[in-house]
Amino acid sequence: MEEKKRADQIGVGDEFKPLTFRVTSEFNEQYLESVEDYHPRYREVTEFGPPVVHPALLVVWSNVTRSPSFYLPYGLAAVHAWEEIEYINPGRVGKTFTVTWKVVDVYEKKGRRYQVKEALVVDEDGLQIIKRKFGDTYFSGGE
Amino acid sequence: MQNIDKDAQVGLELTGKLKTITDERVFAFSGGFPKGPDWPKKTIHTNLEFARASGLPKRTASGAMFEGYITELMINTFGEQWLRGGKMTLKFIAIVTPGDKLLPKAIIRSRQAENSGVRFALDVWCEKQGGEKVVIGTATGLVPNL
Repeated sequence: MEEKKRADQIGVGDEFKPLTFRVTSEFNEQYLESVEDYHPRYREVTEFGPPVVHPALLVVWSNVTRSPSFYLPYGLAAVHAWEEIEYINPGRVGKTFTVTWKVVDVYEKKGRRYQVKEALVVDEDGLQIIKRKFGDTYFSGGE
Repeated sequence: MQNIDKDAQVGLELTGKLKTITDERVFAFSGGFPKGPDWPKKTIHTNLEFARASGLPKRTASGAMFEGYITELMINTFGEQWLRGGKMTLKFIAIVTPGDKLLPKAIIRSRQAENSGVRFALDVWCEKQGGEKVVIGTATGLVPNL
Protein backbone atom coordinates (compact mmCIF):
# COMPACT_ATOMS: atom_id res chain seq x y z
CA MET A 1 0.00 0.00 0.00
CA GLU A 2 1.27 3.42 -0.95
CA GLU A 3 2.25 5.48 2.08
CA LYS A 4 0.66 8.92 2.11
CA LYS A 5 2.86 11.89 2.87
CA ARG A 6 1.61 14.29 5.55
CA ALA A 7 -0.06 17.24 3.86
CA ASP A 8 1.74 19.80 6.00
CA GLN A 9 5.11 18.39 4.88
CA ILE A 10 4.45 18.65 1.16
CA GLY A 11 6.79 21.20 -0.36
CA VAL A 12 6.89 23.74 -3.14
CA GLY A 13 6.38 22.25 -6.60
CA ASP A 14 4.65 19.12 -5.34
CA GLU A 15 1.10 18.28 -6.33
CA PHE A 16 -1.75 16.62 -4.50
CA LYS A 17 -3.58 13.82 -6.31
CA PRO A 18 -6.44 15.21 -8.45
CA LEU A 19 -10.08 14.70 -7.49
CA THR A 20 -12.82 13.94 -10.01
CA PHE A 21 -16.50 14.15 -9.08
CA ARG A 22 -19.85 14.50 -10.82
CA VAL A 23 -22.39 17.02 -9.56
CA THR A 24 -25.95 15.72 -9.66
CA SER A 25 -29.07 17.72 -8.80
CA GLU A 26 -29.16 15.99 -5.40
CA PHE A 27 -25.53 16.87 -4.74
CA ASN A 28 -26.16 20.51 -5.69
CA GLU A 29 -29.34 20.63 -3.60
CA GLN A 30 -27.41 19.61 -0.46
CA TYR A 31 -25.29 22.74 -0.87
CA LEU A 32 -28.24 25.04 -1.65
CA GLU A 33 -29.71 23.94 1.68
CA SER A 34 -26.43 24.39 3.51
CA VAL A 35 -25.92 28.00 2.37
CA GLU A 36 -29.63 28.93 2.19
CA ASP A 37 -29.42 30.04 -1.44
CA TYR A 38 -32.40 28.85 -3.44
CA HIS A 39 -32.08 30.98 -6.57
CA PRO A 40 -33.76 29.33 -9.59
CA ARG A 41 -30.47 29.42 -11.53
CA TYR A 42 -29.30 26.52 -9.36
CA ARG A 43 -32.41 24.41 -9.97
CA GLU A 44 -33.78 25.18 -13.40
CA VAL A 45 -32.68 24.49 -16.96
CA THR A 46 -32.39 27.73 -18.93
CA GLU A 47 -31.58 28.72 -22.49
CA PHE A 48 -27.93 28.70 -21.39
CA GLY A 49 -27.98 25.07 -20.26
CA PRO A 50 -28.51 22.92 -17.18
CA PRO A 51 -28.74 24.48 -13.70
CA VAL A 52 -25.62 26.19 -12.36
CA VAL A 53 -23.60 24.36 -9.72
CA HIS A 54 -23.59 26.48 -6.58
CA PRO A 55 -20.16 28.19 -6.38
CA ALA A 56 -19.78 27.27 -2.71
CA LEU A 57 -19.94 23.58 -3.64
CA LEU A 58 -17.08 23.98 -6.09
CA VAL A 59 -15.07 25.98 -3.55
CA VAL A 60 -15.38 23.49 -0.70
CA TRP A 61 -14.79 20.54 -3.03
CA SER A 62 -11.64 22.22 -4.31
CA ASN A 63 -10.24 22.61 -0.80
CA VAL A 64 -7.10 20.49 -0.64
CA THR A 65 -8.58 18.33 2.12
CA ARG A 66 -10.68 16.73 -0.66
CA SER A 67 -7.65 15.40 -2.50
CA PRO A 68 -7.41 11.59 -2.42
CA SER A 69 -3.77 11.98 -1.35
CA PHE A 70 -4.49 14.45 1.47
CA TYR A 71 -3.44 13.00 4.80
CA LEU A 72 -2.96 14.39 8.29
CA PRO A 73 -2.63 12.35 11.47
CA TYR A 74 -5.36 12.63 14.11
CA GLY A 75 -4.81 15.77 16.15
CA LEU A 76 -3.58 17.91 13.27
CA ALA A 77 -5.94 19.97 11.10
CA ALA A 78 -5.64 22.29 8.13
CA VAL A 79 -7.20 25.73 8.63
CA HIS A 80 -7.93 28.07 5.74
CA ALA A 81 -6.26 31.47 6.29
CA TRP A 82 -6.66 33.39 3.04
CA GLU A 83 -7.87 33.02 -0.50
CA GLU A 84 -7.68 34.55 -3.96
CA ILE A 85 -10.35 33.26 -6.32
CA GLU A 86 -11.25 33.91 -9.93
CA TYR A 87 -14.51 32.68 -11.42
CA ILE A 88 -14.02 31.86 -15.09
CA ASN A 89 -17.19 30.01 -16.14
CA PRO A 90 -20.26 28.68 -14.34
CA GLY A 91 -20.18 24.96 -13.61
CA ARG A 92 -23.24 23.03 -14.80
CA VAL A 93 -25.19 20.31 -13.00
CA GLY A 94 -24.61 16.91 -14.61
CA LYS A 95 -20.98 17.64 -15.48
CA THR A 96 -17.95 15.87 -14.05
CA PHE A 97 -15.29 18.13 -12.59
CA THR A 98 -11.60 17.60 -11.96
CA VAL A 99 -9.61 19.54 -9.37
CA THR A 100 -5.82 19.79 -9.42
CA TRP A 101 -3.64 21.26 -6.66
CA LYS A 102 -0.03 22.36 -6.57
CA VAL A 103 1.98 23.76 -3.66
CA VAL A 104 3.50 27.05 -4.82
CA ASP A 105 4.90 28.57 -1.63
CA VAL A 106 5.65 27.85 2.00
CA TYR A 107 6.35 30.62 4.49
CA GLU A 108 6.32 31.46 8.17
CA LYS A 109 4.51 34.37 9.77
CA LYS A 110 4.32 35.06 13.50
CA GLY A 111 5.75 31.64 14.23
CA ARG A 112 3.16 29.80 12.20
CA ARG A 113 3.84 27.91 8.97
CA TYR A 114 1.69 28.58 5.93
CA GLN A 115 1.43 26.47 2.81
CA VAL A 116 0.18 28.13 -0.38
CA LYS A 117 -1.63 26.09 -3.02
CA GLU A 118 -2.98 26.82 -6.47
CA ALA A 119 -6.10 24.93 -7.45
CA LEU A 120 -7.84 24.68 -10.80
CA VAL A 121 -11.32 23.28 -11.41
CA VAL A 122 -12.17 22.18 -14.97
CA ASP A 123 -15.19 20.33 -16.29
CA GLU A 124 -15.30 17.21 -18.46
CA ASP A 125 -15.09 19.36 -21.61
CA GLY A 126 -11.89 21.03 -20.42
CA LEU A 127 -13.72 24.27 -19.62
CA GLN A 128 -12.00 26.14 -16.80
CA ILE A 129 -14.46 26.93 -14.00
CA ILE A 130 -12.50 28.48 -11.13
CA LYS A 131 -8.89 29.23 -10.27
CA ARG A 132 -7.84 29.59 -6.65
CA LYS A 133 -4.73 30.44 -4.72
CA PHE A 134 -5.01 29.96 -0.99
CA GLY A 135 -3.00 29.76 2.18
CA ASP A 136 -3.58 27.09 4.81
CA THR A 137 -2.00 26.77 8.19
CA TYR A 138 -2.00 23.71 10.43
CA PHE A 139 -3.33 23.45 13.98
CA SER A 140 -2.44 20.70 16.41
CA GLY A 141 -3.73 19.80 19.84
CA GLY A 142 -0.18 19.99 21.13
CA GLU A 143 0.08 23.74 20.62
CA MET B 1 -30.74 40.04 -11.88
CA GLN B 2 -28.27 42.87 -11.42
CA ASN B 3 -28.60 45.11 -8.40
CA ILE B 4 -26.33 47.93 -9.50
CA ASP B 5 -25.97 49.82 -12.76
CA LYS B 6 -23.04 51.61 -14.35
CA ASP B 7 -23.90 54.82 -12.51
CA ALA B 8 -23.45 53.28 -9.05
CA GLN B 9 -21.17 55.52 -7.00
CA VAL B 10 -18.24 55.03 -4.67
CA GLY B 11 -19.48 54.61 -1.11
CA LEU B 12 -22.63 52.69 -2.02
CA GLU B 13 -23.17 49.95 0.57
CA LEU B 14 -24.64 46.59 -0.30
CA THR B 15 -26.06 44.07 2.16
CA GLY B 16 -26.77 40.41 1.49
CA LYS B 17 -29.13 38.01 3.18
CA LEU B 18 -28.85 37.15 6.87
CA LYS B 19 -27.57 33.59 7.25
CA THR B 20 -27.92 31.30 10.25
CA ILE B 21 -25.25 28.70 10.94
CA THR B 22 -26.85 25.49 12.21
CA ASP B 23 -25.46 22.02 12.88
CA GLU B 24 -27.52 20.64 10.00
CA ARG B 25 -26.12 23.19 7.55
CA VAL B 26 -22.54 22.68 8.72
CA PHE B 27 -22.93 18.91 8.36
CA ALA B 28 -24.45 19.33 4.89
CA PHE B 29 -21.62 21.62 3.85
CA SER B 30 -18.66 19.75 5.33
CA GLY B 31 -19.93 16.22 5.88
CA GLY B 32 -19.39 15.03 2.32
CA PHE B 33 -21.61 13.55 -0.37
CA PRO B 34 -23.36 11.16 -0.70
CA LYS B 35 -24.71 10.54 2.80
CA GLY B 36 -23.50 7.03 3.61
CA PRO B 37 -23.41 5.19 6.96
CA ASP B 38 -20.34 7.14 8.13
CA TRP B 39 -21.86 10.52 7.25
CA PRO B 40 -21.00 13.17 8.25
CA LYS B 41 -17.31 12.64 7.67
CA LYS B 42 -15.38 13.52 10.85
CA THR B 43 -13.65 16.87 10.49
CA ILE B 44 -13.00 19.94 12.62
CA HIS B 45 -16.33 21.20 11.25
CA THR B 46 -18.48 18.19 12.09
CA ASN B 47 -16.98 16.54 15.17
CA LEU B 48 -16.21 18.21 18.51
CA GLU B 49 -13.68 15.58 19.61
CA PHE B 50 -11.84 15.92 16.31
CA ALA B 51 -11.81 19.73 16.62
CA ARG B 52 -10.54 19.65 20.23
CA ALA B 53 -7.83 17.12 19.37
CA SER B 54 -6.61 19.62 16.78
CA GLY B 55 -6.44 22.45 19.32
CA LEU B 56 -9.66 24.18 18.40
CA PRO B 57 -12.09 25.10 21.19
CA LYS B 58 -15.25 24.28 19.23
CA ARG B 59 -16.50 22.85 15.99
CA THR B 60 -16.14 25.57 13.40
CA ALA B 61 -17.97 26.30 10.17
CA SER B 62 -15.87 26.03 7.02
CA GLY B 63 -14.58 29.35 5.72
CA ALA B 64 -15.82 28.26 2.30
CA MET B 65 -19.34 28.40 3.72
CA PHE B 66 -19.27 32.10 4.53
CA GLU B 67 -17.13 32.80 1.49
CA GLY B 68 -20.21 31.47 -0.32
CA TYR B 69 -22.38 34.15 1.33
CA ILE B 70 -20.19 36.87 -0.15
CA THR B 71 -20.21 35.11 -3.52
CA GLU B 72 -24.02 35.14 -3.41
CA LEU B 73 -23.94 38.88 -2.69
CA MET B 74 -21.60 39.46 -5.66
CA ILE B 75 -23.80 37.42 -8.01
CA ASN B 76 -26.90 39.26 -6.82
CA THR B 77 -25.04 42.55 -7.34
CA PHE B 78 -23.47 41.95 -10.75
CA GLY B 79 -25.68 39.19 -12.10
CA GLU B 80 -24.80 35.65 -13.06
CA GLN B 81 -22.12 37.06 -15.37
CA TRP B 82 -20.01 37.56 -12.23
CA LEU B 83 -19.24 33.84 -12.58
CA ARG B 84 -17.39 34.81 -15.78
CA GLY B 85 -14.57 37.02 -14.57
CA GLY B 86 -15.50 37.91 -11.00
CA LYS B 87 -12.59 37.92 -8.55
CA MET B 88 -12.22 38.03 -4.77
CA THR B 89 -9.38 38.12 -2.27
CA LEU B 90 -10.33 37.11 1.26
CA LYS B 91 -8.74 36.77 4.66
CA PHE B 92 -10.41 34.62 7.33
CA ILE B 93 -9.97 36.37 10.67
CA ALA B 94 -12.35 34.76 13.17
CA ILE B 95 -14.00 31.43 13.74
CA VAL B 96 -17.69 30.83 13.14
CA THR B 97 -19.65 28.23 15.07
CA PRO B 98 -23.19 26.80 14.96
CA GLY B 99 -25.60 29.34 16.40
CA ASP B 100 -23.90 32.31 14.79
CA LYS B 101 -25.77 34.57 12.40
CA LEU B 102 -23.78 36.13 9.57
CA LEU B 103 -24.50 39.08 7.32
CA PRO B 104 -22.47 39.56 4.11
CA LYS B 105 -21.75 43.17 3.18
CA ALA B 106 -19.87 45.20 0.57
CA ILE B 107 -19.06 48.81 -0.19
CA ILE B 108 -17.96 50.25 -3.53
CA ARG B 109 -14.42 51.65 -3.25
CA SER B 110 -13.70 52.57 -6.88
CA ARG B 111 -15.18 52.51 -10.36
CA GLN B 112 -13.30 52.47 -13.64
CA ALA B 113 -14.77 52.85 -17.11
CA GLU B 114 -13.54 50.24 -19.60
CA ASN B 115 -14.39 49.53 -23.22
CA SER B 116 -16.76 46.77 -22.18
CA GLY B 117 -18.45 48.59 -19.27
CA VAL B 118 -17.65 49.86 -15.78
CA ARG B 119 -15.49 47.79 -13.46
CA PHE B 120 -16.14 48.19 -9.75
CA ALA B 121 -13.81 47.39 -6.86
CA LEU B 122 -15.43 46.68 -3.51
CA ASP B 123 -14.48 45.94 0.05
CA VAL B 124 -16.37 42.83 1.15
CA TRP B 125 -16.87 41.15 4.49
CA CYS B 126 -19.17 39.03 6.64
CA GLU B 127 -20.04 40.09 10.15
CA LYS B 128 -21.49 38.17 13.07
CA GLN B 129 -24.30 39.23 15.30
CA GLY B 130 -22.71 42.04 17.32
CA GLY B 131 -20.74 43.29 14.34
CA GLU B 132 -17.52 41.23 14.62
CA LYS B 133 -16.05 40.66 11.17
CA VAL B 134 -15.11 37.05 10.42
CA VAL B 135 -13.85 37.40 6.84
CA ILE B 136 -12.63 40.54 5.09
CA GLY B 137 -11.39 41.23 1.60
CA THR B 138 -11.91 42.81 -1.78
CA ALA B 139 -13.83 41.90 -4.92
CA THR B 140 -14.13 43.19 -8.46
CA GLY B 141 -17.01 42.96 -10.89
CA LEU B 142 -18.03 44.40 -14.24
CA VAL B 143 -21.30 46.05 -15.19
CA PRO B 144 -21.20 45.62 -18.96
CA ASN B 145 -22.40 47.96 -21.65
CA LEU B 146 -25.84 46.96 -22.92
